[in-house]
Amino acid sequence: MSRYIALAVLLFLPLPIVIVVLSSFTSAGYLSFPIKGVSLKWYAEFLGSADWLKVLGTSALLALIGAFVSTAASFAAAWAVVRHKMRFGTAYETILLTPLIFPHAAIGVIMIVTLSGLGWLGTFTGLVLVHCILTIPYAYRPVVAALRKADPALEEAAASLGSRPWRTFWQVSLPAVRPGLVTSLLFSFIISFDEVTVTMFLVGPFVMTLPVQVFSEVLESASPIIAAVSAALVLFTSLMVFILDKVVGIQFFVERD
Amino acid sequence: MPRSLRISLLLLPSGLLMAVFVYGLIRLIGSSLIVDGTLDFTYYEAIFSRSDYVAMLGRTLRIAAMTTFFSLLLGFPTAYYVARYRGNRNILLLLIIFPWLVSIVVRSYGWVVILGPRGLINGVLTWTGVVERPLKLMYNDFGVILGLVHVLLPFMIIAILSVLMQIPRTLEEASMSLGGRPAHSFRTVLLPLAMPGVLTGITLVYLMATGAIVTPLLLGGLGDTMLGTEIFQEVMHFFDYPKAAALATVLLVTALAVVLPIQLLERWLSARLSDGGAL
Repeated sequence: MSRYIALAVLLFLPLPIVIVVLSSFTSAGYLSFPIKGVSLKWYAEFLGSADWLKVLGTSALLALIGAFVSTAASFAAAWAVVRHKMRFGTAYETILLTPLIFPHAAIGVIMIVTLSGLGWLGTFTGLVLVHCILTIPYAYRPVVAALRKADPALEEAAASLGSRPWRTFWQVSLPAVRPGLVTSLLFSFIISFDEVTVTMFLVGPFVMTLPVQVFSEVLESASPIIAAVSAALVLFTSLMVFILDKVVGIQFFVERD
Repeated sequence: MPRSLRISLLLLPSGLLMAVFVYGLIRLIGSSLIVDGTLDFTYYEAIFSRSDYVAMLGRTLRIAAMTTFFSLLLGFPTAYYVARYRGNRNILLLLIIFPWLVSIVVRSYGWVVILGPRGLINGVLTWTGVVERPLKLMYNDFGVILGLVHVLLPFMIIAILSVLMQIPRTLEEASMSLGGRPAHSFRTVLLPLAMPGVLTGITLVYLMATGAIVTPLLLGGLGDTMLGTEIFQEVMHFFDYPKAAALATVLLVTALAVVLPIQLLERWLSARLSDGGAL
């Protein structure tokens, strides 16, 4: 019995994604499935639209900066917790994970209040700040796990052989946790790139992200261009998952530390 | 550099980010409670005195509860199957992780394409002549719950799977070789050990379902609102920020009232399990 449920679920999960990708190849002017005639015209329209490409650029830059900042911040925090065995380290880790236990609609309003207080509502800077906060829980876990596995004796050995602290850090400590850092970067990049529920409260006339744009288009129209843009998002995510699988292996997501 | 200064510097970036979050949280609760400098419950009275808002709150909790229930019902067997799979497990993991990482907008939109009046199901049904007019498969609770289960199920599976992968298969085999029937071994050996993962999954799915906006809006429409979609409307269409802040605070309180006890239970269970104590 459990076997049939499992197989049904494993088909059910990718189903709507496959359908969206297939429906993007329609030649009809409205979205329907099964599609009426095959064409690539909606992709041409997407790639020929300066507006869509600008939004794609914003999303990519936002996710890139957010991933670097939250990975760096997580790495520093993990270093204090693991290497300096700071007091209340576990409590601090719990605090870093709090964005996970808040409902997204509530985080959206919290961030409106925060950004309007700072004067950053509807700005790119505001989005970067919020995406850093949202991705910290995702960036922290891989990097702290990697740091726990790395052997501090290597650093002691380097130091006893006369290596200066900074050199030890760059040439010994950092390479030892490289897979963890790369995982943090990729994981927080994906989370940031795909984020919509919180971000849609914070965009404005001057800044827009790709998933939020897709969402508002779906609410307003049924143009198949949305399917083409969605398919591009899916392609992008597949690429990230592929790299993650190569760097740490897909089982990373179901490991406990 | 003294150790305490070094630790403070290392915590500075992440601490600042979290401080910004806490600052917003305090201002949120403040803006819903303080009107013209005095403590005022006007916004909360306005919410709880309106029967449509109370009904909306009830609907949110009901949909979140049903989403959690179905996610557990489907998620546990799937996690169990994947954990005990003897072949190439990575392909199965990919079928769970990949959809999980695709944006919820894309996945919810996929359901619009499947369930919509010109969608896959209605297309097949009208073409084969089973029905004459398209069935109403979305813009109702069915569509919303189906979409939410699809979007949140991976969280449940991953939470349970990460616990089940740590339980050696031999433990069940030992129980059965000592004469325990499969159902009995499952209930007395596997289920108690899997409980922390189940509780984590329930927490995550319930939280995300109560605070969801995108899926309920795309598959439920603007008619029957949930807390999340109501907040979205107050902000985007009516620009009523204090009311949105009050609704967001209500959302926080109702979510944490369910989630915190479960988290405490989960911690207690995990601590007992790692102490090797009998349950």
